[in-house]
Amino acid sequence: MQVIFPLLIPLLTAILGLLAIRSSAGRRLFFAASAGGQLLFSLWLLASVFSSGSQVMYLGGWSAPYGIVLVADPIAAIMVVLVCLTAFSCILYGFQETSIRNEHPLRLPLIQFLVLGLNLSFLTGDLFNLFVAFEVMLLASYALLTLEADDWDVRQAFPYLAINLFGSAFLIALCAFAYGLFGTLNFAHIAVRAQEMSGEPLLVAFGMLAMLVFGIKAGLFPLYYWLPNAYPIMPIALAALFGGMLTKVGVYVLLRLFGTILPHDMDLLYVVLAWLSAATMFFGVLGAASRPYIRGILSFHILSQVGFMMLAITFMTPFAFAAAILYMAHNIIVKSGLFLVGGAVMVLNRTDKLENTGNLWVRTPVLGVGFLLLALSLAGIPPLSGFWGKYMIIVAGFTAGEYVLVAIAIVTGLLTLFSMLKIWMGSFWQSKESVPVVTSDRRWIPMTVIVGGLTVISLIIGLLPEFFIQMAMTAAEGLLDKDAYIRLVLGDLP
Amino acid sequence: MNTPQTSIIFSRVALVVFFIANVVAIYLLLRGHNYPGGGFIAGVATAVSIILLSFVSGVETLHRFFRFDPIRIATVGLLIAVIAGCLPLFLGLPYLTTFNYKWYDVPVIGELYLGTPLLFDVGVYMVVVGVVVKTVFILMTSTFNLTEVMKEEASLYASPLEEPIEEHPVVGSDVFEKEAAAEAARKNLNR
Repeated sequence: MQVIFPLLIPLLTAILGLLAIRSSAGRRLFFAASAGGQLLFSLWLLASVFSSGSQVMYLGGWSAPYGIVLVADPIAAIMVVLVCLTAFSCILYGFQETSIRNEHPLRLPLIQFLVLGLNLSFLTGDLFNLFVAFEVMLLASYALLTLEADDWDVRQAFPYLAINLFGSAFLIALCAFAYGLFGTLNFAHIAVRAQEMSGEPLLVAFGMLAMLVFGIKAGLFPLYYWLPNAYPIMPIALAALFGGMLTKVGVYVLLRLFGTILPHDMDLLYVVLAWLSAATMFFGVLGAASRPYIRGILSFHILSQVGFMMLAITFMTPFAFAAAILYMAHNIIVKSGLFLVGGAVMVLNRTDKLENTGNLWVRTPVLGVGFLLLALSLAGIPPLSGFWGKYMIIVAGFTAGEYVLVAIAIVTGLLTLFSMLKIWMGSFWQSKESVPVVTSDRRWIPMTVIVGGLTVISLIIGLLPEFFIQMAMTAAEGLLDKDAYIRLVLGDLP
Repeated sequence: MNTPQTSIIFSRVALVVFFIANVVAIYLLLRGHNYPGGGFIAGVATAVSIILLSFVSGVETLHRFFRFDPIRIATVGLLIAVIAGCLPLFLGLPYLTTFNYKWYDVPVIGELYLGTPLLFDVGVYMVVVGVVVKTVFILMTSTFNLTEVMKEEASLYASPLEEPIEEHPVVGSDVFEKEAAAEAARKNLNR
């Protein structure tokens, strides 16, 4: 019964916020309270999934292969918590960044629709329902992207719209393909049928098409160019939410697809995906090193880290899956935090172009410490949160004997450190007489507090890795244990 | 001035067709449980009839008649649909579980299922009507260049929520927000 509430609460919040609330201040209070409540609720869901097992809801009471099911297993519960956490901090940050007069009245309801789409895509156990969830999420994201945009911004947003429409068309084709191939759209039922067909070339074609679709959503190598141009046009609070969450949906679906749904012997797919993800991480970090402003650097880094997660998926062991999950959780928190630091820099220096920023370490050391911890964590310096995920991925790579891929990953890690240091030198360390630091704009103080909160969460993950690795291992074993998932959803059906 | 059609024949016929289309829409809505029909197609029928009226009277007259933003219809419809889905939750049953009162031998329709699916369909119907009408209003105002007229009309009875979606948000006195940020972003990204 708890499964439905991560979907119902955002939906009802958005509707009531649209219909009933007229004053801007009241709207802010209502949506912030709802987002906080969702965070608490998602933590409760996580606790109950881990203590008393996965939960399933058969919508409308229709039994499994026929109706739509919602499944809250450990990985889905973890992702829902991360969505709610990111959304909550970004909503609070948005209140600081944008003054109440300038906030578009549709922004908060649209964020709730976005959260609804994200939560549904993590909880659903049905391929077509996944398509619906993606559409809800994408429609909200199109609107958010251009809500406060001017003409130039809209031109930047157009590639995002175009490529995602193509992606959606391929996704619906994938649904049709799955129905033709397996005669069902239910994940568990597909898993049963796919196991019977193991080794058929059509199954490989299905996997390739799925990889294309979700690779577009995640920003995989040849199809990523829409992302780093589209994200910087948004207000920072929204860019942090998008950068933190949206690409990870693609990663999550690939985890689910390769782990739970498809048979575990599709070596061709794993090789292709591994090299694509190596290319993604390498070119992503090169792009990041080439950009001269903070939001651009961070947008390219999203791609680079998606490459890491994808690489971990291809090793196909519980340990590698746990590494991918831990790295994803760390990355969502840290990436959002870094975007929010970028917003604070924009408030203090009035720009985020590295040439024209500086002096921040002297004037605002707390923000500097927050940035340093987040950035080093992103680069994977021990003992911060990014280290454990990266370390596990590299160990998994050595175990699998993929030395070239591991070497690329290590080089990428060094280049990540380089581009993070570029921001550190440009914005914090370098002192320039000509650059003003507008500390009289008090918005930077609450912004720093929110960044600090995310930094503390990242530090907790880094300093107590045992607990979180254990959690990721449970989630990874849940993902790879097909039979348990099939039993959970289909009951005692053959 | 901006009414595209002024033919008297067209306007009389359109009024008749408006009523016929809506009767068909209600028929489709009610029989949708087991037969072709349902909330979506009924909503499309109603929306088309409203579009037809807008050809006759001009979009600004129709907008004045509505007195509120049509997207509000869609929002209320969404709320109704969600409530219809939520009702079984209070009994401890899964979301969207259906409850029906079956009513046979209804004239014209045949059999009528009163219950949560019908309520859900009514919600869908309102969502479709609201979204289609809103979209057509936006397209027609920009096609016939009525932006000024619509803005005046809307400001008479609109809440902040009901600003036309295509409008640029009002720039407040906070200079940094829009101008400096946009300027900086533009310079940065153009290279």
